[in-house]
Amino acid sequence: MSTLQLKMGLTDRVAKYSRYLLLLPGFVLLLLFLLIPLSMIVGISFFERFTVTGPENLTLKNYVAFFTSPQTPVILLNTFGMSLLACLIAFLLGYPMAYFLVFRVKSARVRFFVVSLLLVPFLIDWSVRVVAWLPILGESGIINYALMSWGVIKEPLELLFGRSALLIIWPQTYLLWMIFPSYLALTRIDPDIINAAKVLKAPPHRVFFDITFKLSLPGVVMGFIFVFVSALGDYVTPALWAGGIQTLGLSVANYAANFVWPYAAALSTILVAIALLILYVLLKVVDIKKLVY
Amino acid sequence: MGWGDRLAKVYIALIILFIYIPTFFMIALSFKSGAKVSFPIEGFTWDWYVKPPTGYEYSAYISIMHDKNFFTALNNSLFVSIVTALLTCLLVTTTALALRKKIVGRDLLFYLFLLGFIVPGVALGLGVTFMFRLFGIESSLLAVAAIVTVYTVPFGLILMMSRFDPELATYEYAASVLKASPLSVFRRITFPLIIFEVISAAIMGFLLSWGEIIRTQFVMKGMGTLATYIRNELSINPITPKWFAAGTIIAIIAFVGLAIFAYIMSRRVR
Amino acid sequence: MGKALETKELVKWYGKEVLALNKVTFDIDAGDFFVIVGPSGCGKSTLLKIIAGILDYDSGKLYINGVDMKGVPSYKRDVSMMLEMYALFPHMNVFDNVAFGLRMLGKDKSEIEKEVKEALRLVGLAGLEKRMPLELSGGQRQRVALARALVINPSVLLLDEPLSHVDYRLQRKLMEDLKEIHRKVGNTFILTTHVQEHALSLADTVMVMNTGVIEQIGKPEEVYTTPATVFAARFVGEINLFSAQIKSWDGGLCYLTTDIGELKANPKNKNTLPSSGKVAYAIRPEYVKIGEEARLCDNKTEAKLVSYYYFGHYMEYVFEAIGNTKIKVSVPTEKVGNLTLGSTYLLGWSAKDVLLIERPCMIEGLNIEEVIYGK
Ligand SMILES: Nc1ncnc2c1ncn2[C@@H]1O[C@H](COP(=O)(O)OP(=O)(O)OP(=O)(O)O)[C@@H](O)[C@H]1O
Ligand SMILES: [Mg+2]
Repeated sequence: MSTLQLKMGLTDRVAKYSRYLLLLPGFVLLLLFLLIPLSMIVGISFFERFTVTGPENLTLKNYVAFFTSPQTPVILLNTFGMSLLACLIAFLLGYPMAYFLVFRVKSARVRFFVVSLLLVPFLIDWSVRVVAWLPILGESGIINYALMSWGVIKEPLELLFGRSALLIIWPQTYLLWMIFPSYLALTRIDPDIINAAKVLKAPPHRVFFDITFKLSLPGVVMGFIFVFVSALGDYVTPALWAGGIQTLGLSVANYAANFVWPYAAALSTILVAIALLILYVLLKVVDIKKLVY
Repeated sequence: MGWGDRLAKVYIALIILFIYIPTFFMIALSFKSGAKVSFPIEGFTWDWYVKPPTGYEYSAYISIMHDKNFFTALNNSLFVSIVTALLTCLLVTTTALALRKKIVGRDLLFYLFLLGFIVPGVALGLGVTFMFRLFGIESSLLAVAAIVTVYTVPFGLILMMSRFDPELATYEYAASVLKASPLSVFRRITFPLIIFEVISAAIMGFLLSWGEIIRTQFVMKGMGTLATYIRNELSINPITPKWFAAGTIIAIIAFVGLAIFAYIMSRRVR
Repeated sequence: MGKALETKELVKWYGKEVLALNKVTFDIDAGDFFVIVGPSGCGKSTLLKIIAGILDYDSGKLYINGVDMKGVPSYKRDVSMMLEMYALFPHMNVFDNVAFGLRMLGKDKSEIEKEVKEALRLVGLAGLEKRMPLELSGGQRQRVALARALVINPSVLLLDEPLSHVDYRLQRKLMEDLKEIHRKVGNTFILTTHVQEHALSLADTVMVMNTGVIEQIGKPEEVYTTPATVFAARFVGEINLFSAQIKSWDGGLCYLTTDIGELKANPKNKNTLPSSGKVAYAIRPEYVKIGEEARLCDNKTEAKLVSYYYFGHYMEYVFEAIGNTKIKVSVPTEKVGNLTLGSTYLLGWSAKDVLLIERPCMIEGLNIEEVIYGK
């Protein structure tokens, strides 16, 4: 009897502390590859130089330079405007997809098949996938070819250049980031909740806007965040296609490539700060934790 | 079938088409005989896949099967992605298990893990570069995998945590009142019920790291993964159908792999 | 009086395996309090959802107030429904939940406020307007769902198990309230339950369901006193059932061979019974007498007392007769004598209280013993 009690006491205690133990691996990873790097960026942004021996000369110069540059408003507008627009397009394309998959595809197998199908292009190399737009939207791509041979336009459209390139490539690349959390949120809605709205005299559009959409908001917001930050952090697409359009991410990469570390760090800090600010505002509006708890 | 169902089918087909359009063009153009990646296709050729090199052409004109760098990069990519997949499913499972109970600072921790995705990639890449520079650490493929894992974990975490619903807790509770120890509850009840999510987390880790370039590009020195290799080639050399041939090969492997996986998983789906 | 609801041969399949409704045909008078009772999984919720228009049926006809409902969306039907698992909107507080339907109908603010307050008071939840569904107990949620369906005041109100998760007191109160509301507003109520007492005491009309089919429709006392099938007899009220073989008729009196010996019956439905063959011999526990009283009865058997259950206002004794056949006897508490467990007593009942039921149930292909002794 007493040994049994002792044993149960022990497993109970293990169970109690195991939660904290379980957190450890994840936390170590976060510490090493998220928290320390982040604090390094913030720290170094306040120095004048970052040499092999370490950072030198505390200063606010980097920030002053950024906020007084005449380019700054344009860059900020490009960065956040383009990212937000990409989000919006991804939402308009992706949300109906998630909705239809959940509410209109009855067979779980078909649903699973479609989701798997969405994944395949993701394994094709990122750059190749982007370059593959060239024969479609490029200067001598099929759209321009068709439009010119029909005489609709004389000069080829620069579809894959500048802002329009970002608005085509980003939503396509990040569409799954929108579909995935929306899908998840929609599957969590009890069908009887929707039935209840129907029997309580709600016409289809009210059922959708008052019930379904509102209940899926945590997922939608999560999708917005995913697409938004993906676009914010992406300097490769603007470098390849945006032809001279500066974004904050691209500036960071350029300054870093030229070893102007502290300035790149300051730009990064600003990027992170604004991303967090937008996130904070979104979280004030919608409790995304509802998606998981 | 109502018009709503029909509309849904058409829409789903259109979105799949939209996602696949570049893929179709990529496959078509990988057989093009000219070097320009545009229409019209003048002739059909396997040259971009298998033509033996003469030894004098630029890398952009070497057929993909004879491009040694391509295979090195492919190897690196596979290494990074497999390590990321394993790390992701391990960390996602442990973290989700820890966060499902109301523990002190749960919300904060959840947001912290989410931060791994939310911090723009370019900033994180720079931060890690700083860290390596300051502490004199050499970058490696393993480090790349770790950085990418920071960004893949939130996805899996959301998926996994949303599985830990009250229903699952009921089953576990039922098992534990039937005198199962915490460990055997996990082994016999919890794990079989979340195995789908565990595998999904691994696959997500693989997919996300496969395409990852922003963080990798910053940290990686030398050859790098497939993504960084091709991207560097594309930015300094002319774009030729060779890369479409590369993409086609990867697509075929991916399709077969996913089909096998989907077949296995679909037997588990209700 | 008009018909609030008519159905003709409604059929509903879930996938290819589950036949939830098998040619269900019935109608309900306007203003009726109609209670559907049946075991779990017999298709009650399915039927209600079809009436409400949130589930499609495969074939048959459905009319509400004389109008064919094929293709009519839920919100255009003059019905509202309280769903089985409450289905409260998790993102709205109690007030908004109850107000939802009224808002959809486009009523103005002050009216909504007034009606919601009234509905909440009716179900005993006044003062909880600001609570979220997650902050309510199971029974409170159920009452919010009830208020939410009531407040719309449709001509047909569907209530799917509105009494299942509340305590006994509240059940009684809600039953009284439901009757009261029904009397006041005069619209048609259709309520499902798997508790037969609710069916008997609430209903103007009771419908007994068995997996996908109707066993019997009638007034509560009709169903109780003259069950149409063995299934209906078993499901509504307690009853002793023995499988029996008709031996002969003598005038109005029927002689039978049963599991517990030769017995007599003088059933009310003698005109509809065959002259020979298998039937179920049924006697309600309250008609069985014990000891001295039994001596005077025309059916008698000896049986051993094996257990008893105390129900407050009556006592139920369980006896075991020949061949381990159980016989239940209920005795009003004030008449309970001093019986000892394990002793043998004489049981008796009058032939005129016996029911003879020929039909096992409305599902084809089951033989009578299977239904009598449960499958
Ligand atoms: N969505 C569904 N898919 C498949 N079968 C279903 C579905 N809903 C119900 N069923 C089946 O249909 C039959 C009738 O179900 P229904 O919910 O109508 O029963 P019920 O009489 O309301 O039971 P209860 O008293 O337990 O609520 C059951 O056998 C059930 O398993
Ligand atoms: Mg039901």
